[in-house]
Amino acid sequence: MPDATTGEEARGSHEPLAVELSGVTKRFGDVVAVDDITLEIGENRFYALLGPSGCGKTTTLRMIGGFEDPDAGSIRLHGEDVTGLKPYQRPVNTVFQSYALFPHLNVFENVAFGLRRKKVPSAEVTERVGEMLDLVQLVGMDKRKPGQLSGGQRQRVALARALINHPRVLLLDEPLGALDLKLRKEMQIELKRIQNEVGITFVHVTHDQEEAMTMADTIAVMNEGRIERLGGPTEIYEDPRSAFVAGFLGASNLMQGDRKGNAATLQDGTTIALPEAGAAGVDGDIQLGVRPEKMSLQAPEAAPPGANSILATVVDVSFIGVSTHYLLRTSWGADLVVVVQNLDDERHAAGSSVAATWLPQHTFVVS
Amino acid sequence: MTTDTATPPAATPPGAGQTAGAASSKSKRKRVPYLLLLPGGIWLIMFYVIPMIQLAGVSLQEGSFQTGYRFTWAWGNYSAAFTAFGGHFIRSILYAGTATLLALLIGYPLAYAIAFRGGRYRNLLLILVLMPFLTPFLLRTLAWKVILADSGWVVGVLQSIGIIAENGRLLATGWAGVAGITYNFLAFMTLPIYVSLEKIDPSLIEAAQDLYSNSRTAFRKVTLPLSRPGIVAGTLLTLIPASGDFVNAQLLGNPQQLMIGNVIDSRFLRIVDYPTAAALSFTLMVAILLIVIPYVRAVGTEDLVA
Ligand SMILES: Nc1ncnc2c1ncn2[C@@H]1O[C@H](COP(=O)(O)OP(=O)(O)OP(=O)(O)O)[C@@H](O)[C@H]1O
Ligand SMILES: [Mg+2]
Repeated sequence: MPDATTGEEARGSHEPLAVELSGVTKRFGDVVAVDDITLEIGENRFYALLGPSGCGKTTTLRMIGGFEDPDAGSIRLHGEDVTGLKPYQRPVNTVFQSYALFPHLNVFENVAFGLRRKKVPSAEVTERVGEMLDLVQLVGMDKRKPGQLSGGQRQRVALARALINHPRVLLLDEPLGALDLKLRKEMQIELKRIQNEVGITFVHVTHDQEEAMTMADTIAVMNEGRIERLGGPTEIYEDPRSAFVAGFLGASNLMQGDRKGNAATLQDGTTIALPEAGAAGVDGDIQLGVRPEKMSLQAPEAAPPGANSILATVVDVSFIGVSTHYLLRTSWGADLVVVVQNLDDERHAAGSSVAATWLPQHTFVVS
Repeated sequence: MTTDTATPPAATPPGAGQTAGAASSKSKRKRVPYLLLLPGGIWLIMFYVIPMIQLAGVSLQEGSFQTGYRFTWAWGNYSAAFTAFGGHFIRSILYAGTATLLALLIGYPLAYAIAFRGGRYRNLLLILVLMPFLTPFLLRTLAWKVILADSGWVVGVLQSIGIIAENGRLLATGWAGVAGITYNFLAFMTLPIYVSLEKIDPSLIEAAQDLYSNSRTAFRKVTLPLSRPGIVAGTLLTLIPASGDFVNAQLLGNPQQLMIGNVIDSRFLRIVDYPTAAALSFTLMVAILLIVIPYVRAVGTEDLVA
């Protein structure tokens, strides 16, 4: 590899990079769809681009695939600058948001399409299509037209049609968006299995945080054309760093506080200990948060020493089965949600006073 | 599937009233499609089937306008008509076929440009395609007479660049007739093709490009096959009426090389030889069917339906 002289080596990165975006911007008229994004996606990763509708996920993916040209910045695939190259000149394949199967071709010919264009001999085409249909569990469907398939089957054909070309990166734009919940769960596991099996980088666009958390090993949370937070699922869940990410990835209780060193004072004077890791930061007004499932409820006098604790009144109790959700109101009128496992049958009735407690390391500070 | 037959229908002895009700609602449901067909069916029988049968009868009559016509199974009308006007038949098919091909060559790129490059001007461009239809057929064709006139600028330009001879002309040639037909039927070709192109999901073309097709291959492998229903509809809508057309040949074409439509027109209305005119009409119909049926079978659209 002639990599020794390139920038990645200089930066000391040893992992080969499948996709690199640097300073990529895309505008549509006045709308800045993608705003100065810099991303590095390693080889053999399951990478998720997560964000609400209209945040620029599809546009980012389309620029990697070559369907849109960036207004600024550059795109590299395996170290090679592909900015400005046509889609068919890039070693990537795409699973489109609506599958985009060719309606006039049967399943076999849909899957074989890329190989046919590359003039692969007919016998090899038959063999590879067979293997691919086997991988996506569509054996025996090869003579059907896309119109005769269910949503899940179409999704598999779209996947097979892309994977058969052995792309070095597979781009997936909300591939499970059109499926019902149960099928979606099955396909999540299935996609993960296929990614393990073929061992290539998947860049998966989704607006479903659960899907991203289940499947991806790295998640980039996007908001308004920018990347808000990047990291592993646990890491960004435990320490979202911004109110947007905290709210987008699951539920969280956010509170205003006045920070002084490693502790913050709430409106009613309660002192909250901040985690050691978050010690670096400026004093003054901050927002701190804690996940509902990290909290537990006690009688006010039974709060364990060393834990963070807030006094509140129970407003509403809902029994969900696996857990009980409590809605609490603090003395300064803020709402808190606490999710408690149904381990014992100690319940707190609506109207009772409780202490909501949690460990200092479960506190996070957002900007 | 076969095991299902093991549950016998005898296991449910039906209550008499219940089945009667179910049966009547079922038969009602079966009748609805026929009821819906009724108005159109009556219309077709009154104004198409009955006249066709009458025409078929006329084509087998003998006699003259003065002495009256009698039905005599005169099959000879057909052979006589074909011997006398075989050249007209062949010319009609040739003119109509050439015009259809020209209309396809002009209409497809036109429809493609409007569908894929029209942007927000799409509707305006479609109206422009239809604009000539706001003037009557006859007037449009007469206008071409002026355009193609010996002293007109088209002839002048073509003469000066040597495409037609110094004393050559356009008007009153077969080409003028073909040009007139092409022009008059262009919208019938363009619109169905536009509709089928417009329906194509742009992501299909992106998918083709993603799968190593350049623009040309993507067109050949995706756009063209998906626009086939439009091509079939457009060519039929042009070829069929063009084969029977007589206005273009009469106003623009060579008076010595008329089309079968001109012959039928004059036999019916001027020479008043009904049997020959009817026999010619039927022969034309059969000839068109003999061309159209294999064509539709060859490039048919069944595989697009499923
Ligand atoms: N071709 C286009 N022309 C104009 N604006 C566009 C175009 N494509 C995208 N946009 C705009 O760019 C922004 C980002 O769009 P994008 O499709 O990337 O969003 P997304 O994150 O994929 O959303 P979703 O989850 O709804 O698919 C949106 O505001 C959108 O309106
Ligand atoms: Mg999108």
